[in-house]
Amino acid sequence: MLSALDRRHTVAPPGYSRWLIPPAALAIHLCIGQVYATSVYKNSLIAHFDTGQTAIGVIFSIAIVMLGLSAAVAGTWVEANGPRKAMFVSACFWAAGFLVGALGIATKQLWLLYLGYGVLGGIGLGIGYISPVSTLIKWFPDRPGLATGLAIMGFGGGAMVASPLSRQLLSFYDPGYDPANAGSTASGSALVWLFLTLGVGYFVIMMFGVFNVRVPAADWRPAGFDPAKVAAKPLVTTANVSAANAVKTRSFWLLWVVLFCNVTAGIGILEQASPMIQDFFRDNGTSAVSVAAAGGFVGLLSLFNMAGRFVWSSTSDLIGRKPIYLVYLGVGMVLYVLLALVGQAATALFVLLACVILSFYGGGFATVPAYLRDLFGTFEVGAIHGRLLTAWSAAGVAGPLIVNAFLDAQGKPGTLTAAAYRPALFTMVGVLAVGFVANLLIRPVPERFHEPASGRDGVEDAAQPVTAERSGS
Amino acid sequence: MNEQAGGGQRVRLVVSWVVVSALLGYGVVQTVITAAKLFTH
Repeated sequence: MLSALDRRHTVAPPGYSRWLIPPAALAIHLCIGQVYATSVYKNSLIAHFDTGQTAIGVIFSIAIVMLGLSAAVAGTWVEANGPRKAMFVSACFWAAGFLVGALGIATKQLWLLYLGYGVLGGIGLGIGYISPVSTLIKWFPDRPGLATGLAIMGFGGGAMVASPLSRQLLSFYDPGYDPANAGSTASGSALVWLFLTLGVGYFVIMMFGVFNVRVPAADWRPAGFDPAKVAAKPLVTTANVSAANAVKTRSFWLLWVVLFCNVTAGIGILEQASPMIQDFFRDNGTSAVSVAAAGGFVGLLSLFNMAGRFVWSSTSDLIGRKPIYLVYLGVGMVLYVLLALVGQAATALFVLLACVILSFYGGGFATVPAYLRDLFGTFEVGAIHGRLLTAWSAAGVAGPLIVNAFLDAQGKPGTLTAAAYRPALFTMVGVLAVGFVANLLIRPVPERFHEPASGRDGVEDAAQPVTAERSGS
Repeated sequence: MNEQAGGGQRVRLVVSWVVVSALLGYGVVQTVITAAKLFTH
């Protein structure tokens, strides 16, 4: 049955609208983006399992680690089997994660929640994240930044959908639960029903993506598209590099450092957003910013994180990938310095600086697939993207570690002021500087890493399944 | 006549974009309501 999902059965017929592909990709990313909304039911899980923050928090960590691992390991499989099968497998793992997780909650077996949402769901996350990327790039060779920006914007939007939806569903299943009250927790049965609802609902929505996604035919080109014009831009290649060869190049690892630095710096703010704004405006032990207003700040950051993914990635189509990363990292450094030195002068200034920084954070995620396309061609860009995402996993550990280590040395939570954040913020400036230099050092990939010219113009791959043997170096 | 040549594809396009726009719109509206608390509290 799964052969019907194969790449060769999903080649688009003539006239198929490429504008069906972004919503197909969004259907996947809007669902898997839920992983950033797990804090909504964290306290309810703690109460249900009668355990601590760490035991529940580790579920999220397992999922993110599995995301990085599965994207890196399954990337070549995704390229070989095509987006439809990859999306279907992702949907199965993602939904199974919720269903096994629900079983774990119902039977009070925490390990089942780790196995379900953490391991199975995490595999669904990794495969789902990379599954539409190379297809979008092949359908939009003229605007790859816009196409991948649209999809990866969905990942940011997924949490914005899942957070309020989960609160409303928990209130529906447990009328005694008050989402407006931070101390209120939902019952175990409400959590079970929430997981079942999300599992089934996300599976259905992801099937929209499976149903609509197609790969372009071998000879397909967008109307009026001239590949020569694209290739004439600096750093854009018409050659193709396999995933196995890409990781042997200096440019891959420089880009890994660029992504790592950009994500590390952004996570530094994202992780601390709510207490940070309260600490920056603390006077005589009392913050001028209420808890509700701090929650509003977090919401605003989510909007800018999401918008940055689309706006900046689309802008990269016009000004180029290397210049846009110079903006993310270079202007980012200036914004971090301003945040450290004058951020406490006015709430509006603090919010503005943080929002622009977060838009660069999102932009960095969304632009990287197009940067990879420019450097390595379209041949195995999804698999290369999967390997690059290990930088995200590493940054997810490094960013909070750096910020928390500095803040712990400055005092106890609830007593900190703007000055306590300066060492962490200046460290982030240094991290961004490293990324800035790494980006400057990126050069075109040497010819010895290129695939033989025949049958490797990227778009041709659509019509022919790429075997594991072909992908080898 | 292939599957995308007629109104079938137009319907599919509209339905696809409506579904993802509705989801995204719901998330954005809910988040804007939350973000507004930054200016009202």
